[in-house]
Amino acid sequence: MTVASDSTPVVSPPRGYWSEVWRQFRKRRLALIALIYIVFLSIVALCAPMIAGTRPIVCKYKGQIYFPCLAYFNPRWEPGIFLKDKFRQIYPKNLKKKDPESWAVWPLVYQDPYRRIKKDEWPGQPENRFGMEGVPDKNNLMGTDQQGWDVFAQLVHGTTVALLVGFVSMGLAGFIGITVGALGGYFGGWVDMLTSRITEVVMCIPTLILILAMIAILEKTTIWHMMAIIGVTSWTSIARLTRAEFLKLRESEFVTAARAIGVGEIRIMYRYILPNALAPILVPITFGIASAILIESGLSFLGVGPPPPNPSWGTLLNSGRTNLQMWWLILFPGMAIFLAVLAYNLIGEGLQEATDPRLKEAGR
Amino acid sequence: MFDYLVRRLLIGAITLLFITFVIYALIRQMPGDPVTALQAEQDPSRKIDPAEFERMKAAYGLDKPWPLGYVLWLGKLTTTLDLGRSFTHKKPVWTLIRERAGPTLLLSLTSLFLGYVLSGPLGLYSVMRANKTDERIVSTLLYMLYSLPTFVAALGLLYLFYQRLEWLPLRGIVSENYEKLSWWGRTGDIAYHMILPVTCYTYGGLAYYARFIRANMQEVVRQDYIRTARAKGVHPLKVIVVHSFRNTMIPMVTQLGLTLPTLLSGSVILEQIFTWPGMGRLFFESIGTRDYPVIMGLTLIFSLLTLAGQLLADVLYALVDPRVSYS
Repeated sequence: MTVASDSTPVVSPPRGYWSEVWRQFRKRRLALIALIYIVFLSIVALCAPMIAGTRPIVCKYKGQIYFPCLAYFNPRWEPGIFLKDKFRQIYPKNLKKKDPESWAVWPLVYQDPYRRIKKDEWPGQPENRFGMEGVPDKNNLMGTDQQGWDVFAQLVHGTTVALLVGFVSMGLAGFIGITVGALGGYFGGWVDMLTSRITEVVMCIPTLILILAMIAILEKTTIWHMMAIIGVTSWTSIARLTRAEFLKLRESEFVTAARAIGVGEIRIMYRYILPNALAPILVPITFGIASAILIESGLSFLGVGPPPPNPSWGTLLNSGRTNLQMWWLILFPGMAIFLAVLAYNLIGEGLQEATDPRLKEAGR
Repeated sequence: MFDYLVRRLLIGAITLLFITFVIYALIRQMPGDPVTALQAEQDPSRKIDPAEFERMKAAYGLDKPWPLGYVLWLGKLTTTLDLGRSFTHKKPVWTLIRERAGPTLLLSLTSLFLGYVLSGPLGLYSVMRANKTDERIVSTLLYMLYSLPTFVAALGLLYLFYQRLEWLPLRGIVSENYEKLSWWGRTGDIAYHMILPVTCYTYGGLAYYARFIRANMQEVVRQDYIRTARAKGVHPLKVIVVHSFRNTMIPMVTQLGLTLPTLLSGSVILEQIFTWPGMGRLFFESIGTRDYPVIMGLTLIFSLLTLAGQLLADVLYALVDPRVSYS
């Protein structure tokens, strides 16, 4: 007697939705390069204090191990002992002077995004030049600004701001947009009427007017304010797309099945429909990240962003505007903004093509 | 169609009320007032006399709670179409807007014209040479241009043409000796100052339209009637230009409606960089100087145009495409 399973042909498991999207996305070389570039930027953002900084990554001082570089993420994380021993942020000389036994691992580049490096702070390194003299050289890879602050260090630390702005503001916009769109699309009727009208009204508000008015209210703008403001003004396209996807999917068989076995409405919305609608929704979110970076750097460029010290790429570019002859203040931050925006646009484009069924049918 | 229009106009009116209300509420929460904001500046001609300001405050309802102030503003607007007088420029807001609309329209209309005229051939070219090496290069370049922020491009161009080559002016709309020039000289002078702003205004839109035409054409080219035209031996160029391009014009027409608001609102960033005396710059300045009547007037006009543009786009869509109807 033969076992039934022997005679059945081997069927490979059906490809999941996400792996299909990924397979389509991977085919697009430019989109893939853009994704790699964003991953690279994220690594730079996370490791910024280890790439350029004046605090040791790790050091041993008076028998204890410290990580002073973390103070770049949050000033309060600066180990108290260095304040008590009056290091005044000059680590290289003080470490050796106050504890000859100490050792330290230093960042790749000894430069600071928030101050000017003085002579022999680092043995043999000259004082940072400033203004017109600050052309790029081996100590200041991308030159210095008017005050003698290193441009490379500012750019590296600004990566954190740029990426955070994209993720946080679009995270917020995505949350609002998906909630509003899902409610309208799933329940229909008067709920849909209400959410659609709200979306329409918000769409008609000229975004820049709203953003400038909101920023003007704040006594002291921080980067978090900017993210929140960008987030609450840019969710409309996400809401519209979510609504369309939910309208389509709520009629599908798996939703009917879930309803038949008694799954709750909220659970159907978030556990059943949303995962299947998420890939197309990621398209406006990705484009939104690009425009959030653009808006933040544009506002910082206009000088309405957070007050200095704010290591935003836009702020750096603004100093290039008043000092046109210092080309390195235009070229490097300009390229950084351009490449980040381009990368997100390319990823968005790739996702759009990967999730568009019409293009798949056309054999592309 | 008539019912649809009435419904849209009603929704539009409610939206307009909502927007102006929100913006009024926001600007009344801004710290400082025109007197303190202008004290920071050293220009004596724009200083406001505190006694004069008290009188103006009473006239505009600024001494009352903001919901009441909003009702006053709305009342004046609906009864006499009065937007009030600017605190800092000391002119009626309507006059100020008329003065500033010209320079902005000069830039935006020129660049709209250039964008449409140049993107047609570019889009056609990229469809005809689709997937050939030269088309790939041109399309990639266009895509990069589309992602290049205007303020980065503006600074780069200024560095090259003003700082390095000294061919083009840094800022402004006219030279210092403008008054002494002949009519032709004046026109030339303005055109000379327009080169860089118009370039920055145009390139992004150009790249966008060219990609838009290309994407639409690619969709049209797959249709059956195109295959039929090809099969019966119509010249390939004629298939592209006559059979496909005309159908691509449908979305292009609706695009025109959506660009309407940007025509008059201009670009805050570009007008700031080039010190161009337009509407975007006026808005930016009026926020800085807390010039409430100007902020409200501009908000009203920009929102009105946005709404009108969206309505126009929808109506045009129904007009050019018989398949669409709103009844």
